[in-house]
Amino acid sequence: MLRKNNIWIFFVILFTGCLLLNIDSFALDKKKKELAPLPPPPIPKDNPMTPEKIELGKKLFFDRRLSGDGTTSCASCHDPEKAFTDGAEISLSYPTTRNFRNAPTLINTAYAKTQFWDGRAKTLEEQAEFPVMSPFEMNQNLDFVEEEIRIVPEYREAFKKIFGQEVNIKLIAKAIAAFERTLISKNAPIDRYLKGDKNALSEEAKKGLEIFKGKGKCIECHYGPYLSDQKFHALMVPENPKYANEDKFIVTRRYIAKINKFPDYMNVKDDLGRYFKTKKKQDYKAFKTPTLREVAKTAPYMHNGIFKTLDEVIDFFNKGGGQGNKALKPLNLSLDEKKALKTFLVEALSGEDLKIKPPEIP
Amino acid sequence: MKLVIKFFPYKYRDYARIAAEAAVEAWRQGKFKEMHNLLIKKSPRLDRESLIQYARDLNLDVEKFTKAIDNFEGADIIERDLKLAKDLDLYVTPAFYINGLKVLGVRDYDYFKAIIMEELKNVKKK
Repeated sequence: MLRKNNIWIFFVILFTGCLLLNIDSFALDKKKKELAPLPPPPIPKDNPMTPEKIELGKKLFFDRRLSGDGTTSCASCHDPEKAFTDGAEISLSYPTTRNFRNAPTLINTAYAKTQFWDGRAKTLEEQAEFPVMSPFEMNQNLDFVEEEIRIVPEYREAFKKIFGQEVNIKLIAKAIAAFERTLISKNAPIDRYLKGDKNALSEEAKKGLEIFKGKGKCIECHYGPYLSDQKFHALMVPENPKYANEDKFIVTRRYIAKINKFPDYMNVKDDLGRYFKTKKKQDYKAFKTPTLREVAKTAPYMHNGIFKTLDEVIDFFNKGGGQGNKALKPLNLSLDEKKALKTFLVEALSGEDLKIKPPEIP
Repeated sequence: MKLVIKFFPYKYRDYARIAAEAAVEAWRQGKFKEMHNLLIKKSPRLDRESLIQYARDLNLDVEKFTKAIDNFEGADIIERDLKLAKDLDLYVTPAFYINGLKVLGVRDYDYFKAIIMEELKNVKKK
């Protein structure tokens, strides 16, 4: 009898524990799904910011030596004049090749927990090397670029002064990352509004905010200061028909599948997103939730730039996403609601324009 | 509307420079547009023999054409345009200026259409 009671007590404790855990995680989840003003960006302990390092990173960011043929710098696809995108559906490519994804903005990328649409890099430092060595982006050799930078006396001196070391690719990446962490939205109306300035948003934008948080369900994935859950979702965005059957595009997609050791890489028909990297079922055609900050300036949208306007994006979500997706359901937003939501996205989330003047390259 | 084409042969392609020479000579013989379109259509088959065949296809004076591309007779024009690109800090090809708006890299029809329609609207307003 005593033993039976003990078992009951055990189950009651277990059940209560689970319940408390659930309530706790639910509360945590609820708490997370709020909008918040931008705090100062997180700075990694192993790459502290200094004005000299930021300036060096800025020079390297604009330096075409980082590409194999000397025609492309980071700024080519992350152009300050285009909100640090290139404004193209599919990002610009190394001559005679084709990229296969859209160039995301670098504004506020300091807050991202992973980099790239598929999250394959965890830090900006790690990210910086990828496009430099990618055959369809900058097509440069990392050992070679070290020497190309090291041969420039001004660079060599700067690296010694800032890092106390000779030029190497890891330090090049650190300097670029330090510069990129300065690209932050400033004084966006949403930040002023969240800090208490109730006049920072127009009435239409306030209505849009309510839709964002309510019927539109945008906040389910776009929350926190960065307006992203930093997760990966398979919304089944259609393939971009302009490129889907183009040879150069197919070459790049196959190449990506191949280097990720995808078994049937020659027959990959779609961009499988994070699945290429993880091979996990839940990552099949999943892409990172992008920030919505500065979204009015960063068209075209989605990982393949298939939507030219915010209206098209809102319509996509309103109809419940792409064919076969399990993440979204139709929203049934009226025309007025869609209009208000767009007003919120455009008006509230746009900070002051970042003025970055290209530096003198040594 | 006015379209001006400048030469910017990509320095790391074997036939870019000779193809530019072919276009200059075709221009001198009054068939720049035809040669330009043919070069884009036939790229990357832009070796000397192919270019001579294209000149033949366009009914150009083939002897004059061959002499021109072999002797780099278009060099003054090509070098002038390369200098202009350098002065404008242009390294990417193709590069475009639409009423002063710089557009770099390969873009699709819709991209240009949107810009040009916007510019036309501004012209009408003026």
